[in-house]
Amino acid sequence: MAEVYVKNELSYKAKKTIFHILVYAFLILITISVLIPFYWMLLTSVKTQVMIEQVPPLLFLKPADWEINNYKLLFEVVQSGPRRGQPLFPFFTYMKNTILVSVITTVGTTITTILAAYAFARLRFKGSNLVFVILIATMMIPGEIFILTNFLTVYRLGWYDVFNQTYWDAVLAMTIPFMTSVFYMFYLRQTFKQIPNELYFAAKVDGTTDFQYLWKIMVPVAMPTIVTIIILNSMGAWNAYIWPNMIATRDEYRLVSNGLRGAFTDSSTGRTDFGQQMASAVLVTVPLLILFFVFRKQIMRGVSRSGIKG
Amino acid sequence: METKNNWRAWLYLAPMLILMAVFTFYPLFNAFIISFYKDYQPLLNQRAPGMTLDNYSIVVNNYFFKQALKNTFTLAFISVPISIVLSLFIAVALNSIPRLKAFFQTIFFLPYVTNGIAVGMAFAVIFHRNYGLFNQFLSWFGVAPVDWIGSTATWGKQMTALMIFTIWDSLAFKILVFASGLTNIDKQYYDAARIDSASKWTIFKRITVPLLSPLILYISITSMIGALKAYNSIIALFGESLGGRPRDMITIVAFVYQYRADYANIGFYSYAAAGAIILFMITLAFTGLQTIVSRKRVHY
Amino acid sequence: MEIKMANLTKIFISKDKKEVHAVDHVDLTIPSGKLIGLLGPSGCGKSTTLYLIAGLLRQNEGEIFFADEEVSEMPPEKRGIGLVFQNYALYPHMTVRDNILFPLQNMKVPKQEAMERTQEMAALVGLEEMLNRKPKELSGGQQQRVAIARALVKKPRVLLLDEPLSNLDARLRLQTREEIKRIQRETGITTVFVTHDQEEAMSISDEIVVMKDGVIQQMGHPQEVYDAPVNLFVAKFLGNPQINVFEGEIKKGKIIVLNMEIATTDKPDQKIIVGIRPEGFMVDETKKSAFKFEVNLVETIGRDTTLIIDTPSDDETLLDKHSFKVIVDASYRIMSGDLVHFKVKPDKMHLFDLDGELLK
Repeated sequence: MAEVYVKNELSYKAKKTIFHILVYAFLILITISVLIPFYWMLLTSVKTQVMIEQVPPLLFLKPADWEINNYKLLFEVVQSGPRRGQPLFPFFTYMKNTILVSVITTVGTTITTILAAYAFARLRFKGSNLVFVILIATMMIPGEIFILTNFLTVYRLGWYDVFNQTYWDAVLAMTIPFMTSVFYMFYLRQTFKQIPNELYFAAKVDGTTDFQYLWKIMVPVAMPTIVTIIILNSMGAWNAYIWPNMIATRDEYRLVSNGLRGAFTDSSTGRTDFGQQMASAVLVTVPLLILFFVFRKQIMRGVSRSGIKG
Repeated sequence: METKNNWRAWLYLAPMLILMAVFTFYPLFNAFIISFYKDYQPLLNQRAPGMTLDNYSIVVNNYFFKQALKNTFTLAFISVPISIVLSLFIAVALNSIPRLKAFFQTIFFLPYVTNGIAVGMAFAVIFHRNYGLFNQFLSWFGVAPVDWIGSTATWGKQMTALMIFTIWDSLAFKILVFASGLTNIDKQYYDAARIDSASKWTIFKRITVPLLSPLILYISITSMIGALKAYNSIIALFGESLGGRPRDMITIVAFVYQYRADYANIGFYSYAAAGAIILFMITLAFTGLQTIVSRKRVHY
Repeated sequence: MEIKMANLTKIFISKDKKEVHAVDHVDLTIPSGKLIGLLGPSGCGKSTTLYLIAGLLRQNEGEIFFADEEVSEMPPEKRGIGLVFQNYALYPHMTVRDNILFPLQNMKVPKQEAMERTQEMAALVGLEEMLNRKPKELSGGQQQRVAIARALVKKPRVLLLDEPLSNLDARLRLQTREEIKRIQRETGITTVFVTHDQEEAMSISDEIVVMKDGVIQQMGHPQEVYDAPVNLFVAKFLGNPQINVFEGEIKKGKIIVLNMEIATTDKPDQKIIVGIRPEGFMVDETKKSAFKFEVNLVETIGRDTTLIIDTPSDDETLLDKHSFKVIVDASYRIMSGDLVHFKVKPDKMHLFDLDGELLK
């Protein structure tokens, strides 16, 4: 009997070890697949054109051989093309636009979201369920449908004028339509609902108005959720592509995503300068990654909740 | 709680509702209307009198719209199941390791927080015919260089490249959601299953997947709807030409934007609207499907 | 199948990084074919012991044997055990039939035989009618029986039950414990039953094991343990109402409590702790006994009367509380305010030293 057991035990432990090795191998394989595009982006951005066109491709490059000229060129003022008089890749202009749009949109969204979430979580009024259901239903509608009319609305509001659009016209057009979010409202309402009623009654006894109660008690208590909403929302502007492309009449009004594509292809030869293109991609990617690593917990928690909600 | 604060509640809702009335509800309604206009010129706000269904028949018979339907559905129906199965395996693998779970999870989440256009361009470099990494990788297995996204690429090759990028891009969210869904499953079921001598595969098939099925269904439908709206990924990989050969990889959304961009041409805006409404109907059908299936199958 | 544990130890690391010996060098032999109640207050290590036997936890030290076979390092699925979880852990998405079939499918039992055995088990626990239902369509007691059927269907060597009755309401609990006893008798399988409810353990078990702080206090037939507790903890843990505990003294062969002589003994003079079961008092109708109290409250339920008596002095003669309970025959017609003389039944009185160990 004892011998049988020893055999069993060995095979069991061996099996477990093999299983763990396989799992780790699988995860490492996925890790490599996830990281390769980032690696290739960075590697290409520090290669010279000659290195880029080398066959077979160079898979590694010693830091000593890194070519930072691609980055330098991005900031040099060009004399022709749509960006005449500007740097080849006006990174700082785009960043400024993106941050401005991001901040304005986020402030607006946060305010409308807090007010609406409070109404749905705390106040009783006729039709609240109906309105709530209608709002939730809009989450199912593809946003592309709205864009057609919103473009016309922005035009009628005078924010899209091909010849005379000012910077602030463009900023307004890029922010005002995006100052609401049903999903964040839903998310915050859930948090508000978890705040015990006793707190509300206690505040009433202390003579606070509803509005004071919201700002002095609800908002501070729900701060972690609000911070998550702020972070997730402000990342949106970094990925916005279609709308800013549509309503910004001048290159210097656009956001980072718009500046990336197309700018590095020589229109006469059709050849793309991949080194510069990847350098600009790195410039756009790095701030987001920094933001992510700083707020990793809030971001991942917020996103995983958004999936669980259904 | 108080009951007499009707008007005050509406005051709190007002900022959101007013903005949504202008930028959500009115546009939804208006898109339907525009799709029935005759000879519409949006900026001039001129049109021929009466309503028509012609826009729909023109769109449905348009070569590029057919191409867009084919591309969109191919992309959605292949990439979504693959990414779901793959992310499920990855989430289960993450859950079964004793160490480094947070580390792997963070890395796997990176694609979610990066600019899609920037990474898509990196993929374009990787898929380059002559000096791309992907062809180099294939050459180790003796595969001759293939044009994936260039002007000589076949439809199948372009679709494959697009598929790889789309799956890479969409895994992050699903892995995170499935992994947190898994941690919510009562550990007792796994203890019970071990006592019942279930193998790892049996546990996955008969415990994990069924218990996760409401989440899997929800994610399937939302990703399906997301995939039906593919656009940024095509721009990222192929540029504004929408394909190695122009418009080879056109999608429904891309179709809508193309016709929208040509608003100066009489009636084109209505074609765009008709395309958008058709997309809306398709997503509506998927949402309906989710409701029916979730009532029938996944609940226990 | 006899279960033997030798020097079994499980250490947990608590949040403040301290080592907690959940199971502390336990030596225990569970005889074959018996139903054993593992009993103790919460946190005493009884569930940990059960999980160690199951293999869901791995011991830090010591060995476990099933008969002659050492299973200490064996994974749970190889040990051949059936386990009923506290919350049953029925798979919510499977029907009752699938739940019971599940272990058999994993053991690759031929389909025909598996179906037959499932049917047989359903009959044993009386659920033939419910086979096509999902767990949430069953009552708590029925779910519990499915869990037992699932544990037994694979013909385990050992059946382990983790607080199986704690999620049932009082009436169902009585019914189900009879049911468990019947099933155990019919199958003759060695069964370990964890509970914090002494009454439950005493009524159902062939033998009980009382645990405290990861250490086994006493093992034996329930009535024997009740009648002859080895220490104050066991004496207090078993019995409802609890045993009455007094500070006392032995002086020249007399046992003195509250300055009253209650009995005689041959033990040497010393300070002691006296435990007297509520039913250990006899009313001395001759009123000669020196052991007398004024009754504060009287509760008569059926044939028993419970007398609640406040101790006359303020000093902490009565450990923990200021009143104690006496159960006498209802025929005495005692009213509150009455002065009652008592004699003590010697076999219902236990003497302990000041550390709580039985006086030798």
